[in-house]
Amino acid sequence: MVRVMLTPAELQILSTSLGVAGRAVLFSLPVAIAFAWALSRPRFPGKSVVDTIAHLPLVLPPVLVGYLLLLALGSQSPLGAWLKSSFGIQLAFSAEGAAIATAVMAFPLMVRAIRLSFEATDPGLFEAASVLRAGPWDRFWSMTLPLAWPGVLAGAVTAFAAGLGEFGAVITFASNVEGETQTLPLAINAALNTPGRDDAAFRLALISLTAAIAGLVLAEMLQRWARRRLEA
Amino acid sequence: MTLKLRDVVVRKGAFRLAADFEVAASGVTVVFGPSGSGKSSLLSAIAGLNRLESGSLSLSGRVLEDASTGVRIPAHRRGIGLVFQDARLFPHLTVRGNLDYAEHRRPAARNAPIVVEIARRLEFEDLLDRPVRNLSGGERSRVALARAIVSAPELLLLDEPFAALDGRRRHDFLALLRNLSNEQRLPMVVVTHNIDDAAELANDVIATHDGQVIAYGAAPDVMARAEFASLLDRRDLGARVPASAVAGGSVEGVWVRADSVLLASERPRGISARHVWEGKVYSILQEDARGVLVSLATEAGYILSRITPEALADLQLEQGKQAWAVVKAHAL
Repeated sequence: MVRVMLTPAELQILSTSLGVAGRAVLFSLPVAIAFAWALSRPRFPGKSVVDTIAHLPLVLPPVLVGYLLLLALGSQSPLGAWLKSSFGIQLAFSAEGAAIATAVMAFPLMVRAIRLSFEATDPGLFEAASVLRAGPWDRFWSMTLPLAWPGVLAGAVTAFAAGLGEFGAVITFASNVEGETQTLPLAINAALNTPGRDDAAFRLALISLTAAIAGLVLAEMLQRWARRRLEA
Repeated sequence: MTLKLRDVVVRKGAFRLAADFEVAASGVTVVFGPSGSGKSSLLSAIAGLNRLESGSLSLSGRVLEDASTGVRIPAHRRGIGLVFQDARLFPHLTVRGNLDYAEHRRPAARNAPIVVEIARRLEFEDLLDRPVRNLSGGERSRVALARAIVSAPELLLLDEPFAALDGRRRHDFLALLRNLSNEQRLPMVVVTHNIDDAAELANDVIATHDGQVIAYGAAPDVMARAEFASLLDRRDLGARVPASAVAGGSVEGVWVRADSVLLASERPRGISARHVWEGKVYSILQEDARGVLVSLATEAGYILSRITPEALADLQLEQGKQAWAVVKAHAL
């Protein structure tokens, strides 16, 4: 009989995964909002550069992203050395590092969802706000974000669900440290590479699948809510 | 308050509008012209939503925009309100939320009615806590107007505010607009292509045609000009009569169509028509084989009547001859 309850080890892996994906969303959300907002503007110099940066993680091999992070933030790099000597922060091989690697990989998904939401907003509403004395910052906080809020949330949930499954960048930058950086896919990989742990791998796969589907369903529901809200 | 546009050119897509005028902008100024004559672009430019390609724009001596010096006060600092034709209520807020949005951004020094009061006045008090998406067209118009009033601008622009209304509601809304303008001492610039609205609302008129301002000034003068008549459909030709001549309540004037005016060569007796004006024939214009336009100078101003050539012959009307213009109350 298959046990339905999760074992303490599985709970630990799930909680590491949720923690890493959650922090990843937290780190990338403000940056993603800024990128999405910029990309939803009609035209500005350097737009194609911003667009390329936002989409780069989609086309780069995840291992390469992890390697680039290692080069930029590893303890051998100037920035990594400075972070360690000044704040005692070591990103490589830590849960924070895993979150950063995940954040970079999930970034394009998030930008895309938020950007679509910004672009779906009627520009006439911003004109209406400005003749009621709302300046550009005011309009961003009182109109742009609240109107796009469901899309922002949907982007965050999609990125979260995708973040649960990030493998290559995490294992390269943060390695596979049990209880620290061992997320679901890393644990599945470890189980598959250990003789006699096929059952464990299968159970972890089911957990992973359930979490991903729940995330997608939630994102879809938020998108629908967004569409309903924006049609006035 | 003087609204002054000097050599202004505004471009919107393929459309170009040239404007050079100065109006008192007290009470209600009507921008009148056929659809597509550039009226909305003019409002957008005044509000600061459309950049001037050339020329300058000032309100009471304060330069709002000058293309030659690059001065441009952004829309949110102009203190000019705009009620859009499509209302543009904020869909993520309730009706009350929309009004609060305007109230929170109103400078402390400016007075305006409180939200509940204006909602009662415009008869949507019971809608305050509703989301805006369920409102009807007429309700939207009223909420959009209320939102603009609560914002207490120095000048309020309205783009076809009656588009979603008809009949009685339209008339009520119009009267309300005039009253609000008086009570709040809020000058308004109203865009319309409806001649009745224009006559009822306007203290001043700016007439536009094909991307040009062709006439501007006090309503009685502008609306009596030949170039103004050229903006009208054949069946809309007529004359503006001041409201005082027809006991018109809170409106400024009334448009009397030439087709609704009968002429008599003797004083009419025992008839149901409510308005009979005595006057002298000022001009006679043969319009075509079916119609003659006779202009009568009366104490209510010039009245235009369209009669048949046969009727003209029967009445033996000629310039300077005494005649009576007869109008049914319902035609006003």
